[in-house]
Order: sequence, then structure tokens, then C-alpha cells
Amino acid sequence: MDNAKGLKFESPTFKQRIKGMLGVDFYRLFHTPLFYIFLAIAAIIPAMVSALTMMPDQNGNTMEPLYSNVWQIIAASEPLYVIKGIADYANMNMVFIFGGIMVSIFIGHDYKSGYVKQLFTTHAKKEDYMISKTLTCAFAMVCMCGTYFIGGTIGGLVAGYNASVNVGSLLVSVFGKMILSLGWASLFTFLNVIFRRYFGISVASSFFFGTGILIIGVAAIVEALSLPTAFLNIFLYGASVNACLTSGFGAFITCIAVSVAWAGIYILVGSHILNKSDVY
Amino acid sequence: MNAIEIRNLTKNFGVKQALKGLNMTVPVGSIYGFIGENGSGKSTTEKIICGLIHPNGGSIKLYGREYTDTEVRAKIGVLIESPGCFPNMTVWNNLKLQADNLSIKNSDAEIRKILKLVRMEGAAGNKYKNCSLGMKQRIGIAMALLGNPALLVLDEPINGLDADGMRIMREVLVDIAKSGATIVVSSHILGELEKIATHYGIVRGGKMIAEMTAEELENSCRKFVSVGVAKKDWAKTFLMRKYSNVEEDEQGYIRVYDQTSPEEIVSYLYDNCVIVNEIKTDKIGLEEYYIDLMQGKGAK
Repeated sequence: MDNAKGLKFESPTFKQRIKGMLGVDFYRLFHTPLFYIFLAIAAIIPAMVSALTMMPDQNGNTMEPLYSNVWQIIAASEPLYVIKGIADYANMNMVFIFGGIMVSIFIGHDYKSGYVKQLFTTHAKKEDYMISKTLTCAFAMVCMCGTYFIGGTIGGLVAGYNASVNVGSLLVSVFGKMILSLGWASLFTFLNVIFRRYFGISVASSFFFGTGILIIGVAAIVEALSLPTAFLNIFLYGASVNACLTSGFGAFITCIAVSVAWAGIYILVGSHILNKSDVY
Repeated sequence: MNAIEIRNLTKNFGVKQALKGLNMTVPVGSIYGFIGENGSGKSTTEKIICGLIHPNGGSIKLYGREYTDTEVRAKIGVLIESPGCFPNMTVWNNLKLQADNLSIKNSDAEIRKILKLVRMEGAAGNKYKNCSLGMKQRIGIAMALLGNPALLVLDEPINGLDADGMRIMREVLVDIAKSGATIVVSSHILGELEKIATHYGIVRGGKMIAEMTAEELENSCRKFVSVGVAKKDWAKTFLMRKYSNVEEDEQGYIRVYDQTSPEEIVSYLYDNCVIVNEIKTDKIGLEEYYIDLMQGKGAK
């Protein structure tokens, strides 16, 4: 232990702090069953949705196919801000709902175990916490996008859907949604910082925002008024919808810009709230 | 230099004023016993020092610097309420994660050294959730010790421990203090605190009502002559005629707080046909001093 005479005040640099914290968060992520459960859920659900909708009903009649193409379980054919059926909604954007719940549980454990208490009493800055959690959870959601892609593709192929696609647009939609994981993860981290004392509300709010229902509602109003819907792409859900099977490179750039911008906003606001409020 | 210097600290939780201008001075190298009733403001003060909650007013200096300074914060180790450990991880992994968080180089060697210090060498592979309460508290102290802190803030580390657990904890804290760290330890178990503390702070209703060194406490504690007699009521009646401050304690002994000598009391009682079976001089301990203070009896 340091005594008073020999006391040297040193603080780790931002790089050292974030490296240490990321190391811990990734260690925890890879050692929690929760992560693997959600990877499996992300793979199984699209596979089931694709495969089950092509199965015959009780009378042996083939059901009305939900999709016309394997890749529609990955992304919609066109930017559908307002959903008219489950097929318009059931695509890789669902990962952001699963991700929201996973992030809530993951961050909830920080508070339940007292880990944040241990963290914030030392040199750790609130910004470090927001950044580390956002990056770790974004990585988890990217992985979930990966398993979703694999599950959805296998399910669609097994179900016998048409596999023809514009590869460029498919890549834009998949990688665009993966990039958007950063913005979504920052939103969920932010929500969990706001509702840190109320685990149930954290999970519910992440689910609520993850569904994109607010933007769907706004889009419905915008469409009803026959106004242009392009501005909806500045929101995370809007950009997620915009990354579809007819998207060009511009949609990919939009995903990067929107994701990074919202991540920055949520990290800044979340850090500010943590700095100004009682943590534990 | 003082390790902690707090002036006029205030904290409100809604309409409730938890701290009402608390002052506190913790000298470097001391074991500071932080005493107070439930709800007196001990934990609130400790949480503020640790940066977990924000004060509404006042100033806090740690080693002469603002308590929010990240460099000074890197020199603090904390155990507030319970250790921040993941239950399904082993003791070693929990410590390793904290060491990584603190960017400690050669962390394995430091963890081994600290586990030895807290008498937990053999339990490194145990899952945290399977550890006893005493072990968990020592793991909490081990976590607080990572990063070579100069100041340890320990909130009720001996509460709930059995006699052996308390003894081990006491030894651990003394060993840590010998290595040069300043320790702030709050506890309700005053008898245990009395064995290790070098300084005391007594808080009540969100204010510090007394701060003293162990020597000052020793001098402040009321001295008395304890008398054991067969005819207690008889003896008490006579003693109260001559002395102004006479009480019967829980064990049935009669205490005379006035300045006098055992010989004088024996002689006086003998003259009044009371045979003294047992007599000794003693002084009240921290616990009784604290109770006296709370009851407004004063120290001497």
C-alpha cells in the first residue's frame, strides 16, 4: 500500500482504461450463457419463420407463402416504414429487439452484482463505461445479425424459396444493419442508464424502442399526409428499414452516418446523466 | 496532510436531509472508526467520498485534492455494503476482472499477494456464490486492495461475521494499516472497532458530533470504581449518600464515577457494616462512551 510520503498520483490513460474495461466486458460476454442463448434465438426464429410458413396445413394444403424470396427474411424488398403485414416486419431488424433485451440483462447484471459500484469508485469515467458497454453490446448484436443471417438463409433455402437476389443490395442491407448495431446498442445502453434502478422497466423500454414502433407510428402519419418519408432515415429504425434488398451504396453510407451520430449522442447524453446523478 | 478533509457536507434525498454540514478529518495512516446509528449519515458520507452519489454542498479533499480528481480516485479502494462480484465466477476471476479494469500490470502476482494478505489463498478457485459471508467480505477487501490504494473505505466490513471471522478481519485490517494505507471503517460493532481504530468520528443526525484519537478517547472515557457486594441495595443507598454519581451496571456491580479510591470506598462501606466482596477501578469502553454521548451524558 502507498504511504503518504511515497504517494504518487497517476491515472491510466483513456486507452489503458478503455482497453481494461473492454477486456472485462468481452470476457463477461463470452462467459455468459445469455449471449449464446440470444445467438441461438437469433438463428432459430428466422429459420422457423421461413420454414414454417411453407409447411402444409392440417388439410394438406400449402399455406400462402409469407415471402417470395429467401432474402426477404433478411431485409424487406423495399423501404417499408409502415408495416402492413408480418412479412414486412419480420426481417433482420428483429435482431434489434432481441439485442435490446440482451443488453438490458447484461447491463442489469452490472448493477445487480455491484460491479458498477466497484467501477465508479475508482478512476473509471462514466464516458468509459458508456463506450465500453456500447461497443461490447454492438459486437453482440453484430454476432446476432450473423446467426440470424445463417438461420434465415438456411430456413429459406430449406423451405424452397427463390434465392435470386441483387448481391450488392443484399450486402448493403446485411452490413448496413450490422453497422446500425452500434447505434442501437448505444440506445439500449442509454435506456439502461436512465432506468438503472428498475430492471423490469429497462427491459420493457428496450423492447419497446427496439420494435421501432414510434417511427412506425410517425411514418403512418407521414404517409397519411402524403409527405416524403426519406427524413425518417435519420432515425435508427428508419435507417434500418432503408437498408433493404433494393438499396444502393447510399443507404450503406446512411447507416454508417446514422449509427455513428446516434451512438455519439447517446454516449454523450448517457455520460452526462451518469455524471450528474447518483450512480448507486 | 490529511487523507480526507470534509467541510460542511450536505446531502438531501428529496425532502430528507441526510447530511447537515458534516465535517470530517482523517489523518494519513490512521484507522478511522466511523461510528453512528442507522440512518445517521455514515453510508451516505462514504458513498459521497467514493463518488457514487453527489453532495448538495460542501467540500471534500482527498490528499489535498478535489475528490473527483481521477488521479486521486485511482488511489482509493472501496468496500461499500457488499463486494461488486459476479456470483458465478470464481474468486480469482472476479479479482482478475477488477485488476484488468484497473489496468494493473503483472496482476497475477498482485492477486496472489493480496489473497495471502486476506487469508484467502486456498479459496481462489471457489465460485464467489459458494463463499461464506466472512470470505465474501474478505474478497471485497481484496478487491479494494487491488491497485495499491492509499485510502480504503470499508462500510460495515465486520457485520454478520462470526467470532473467528471478526478476528481474521481484524488481523487483516491491522496488517493493511501496517503497510501504510489509511483505512476508514464504519461499524456498529464498537468493541471490535475499539481494538483496531486509531481515530474515531461519531456522527449523529447527519452531523459529526465528535472526532478524537484513540488516546483522547482513552482520556475522555469516564473512570469509575466497580464494587461487588452481597447487599447491593443497602450498599447503593449508603454510597449515594456520599457520592453524587452512582449507578448499577448490567452485571449487578455498583459503579462510583466520582473521583475516589477503592480504599476509601471499602473503608466507608465497612464503617456502614457492608462487606465488599470485589472492587476494582475501570473505565467505560467505546460502546458505553458512545451510548453516553448519544444520551447526552457527556464524556467525563
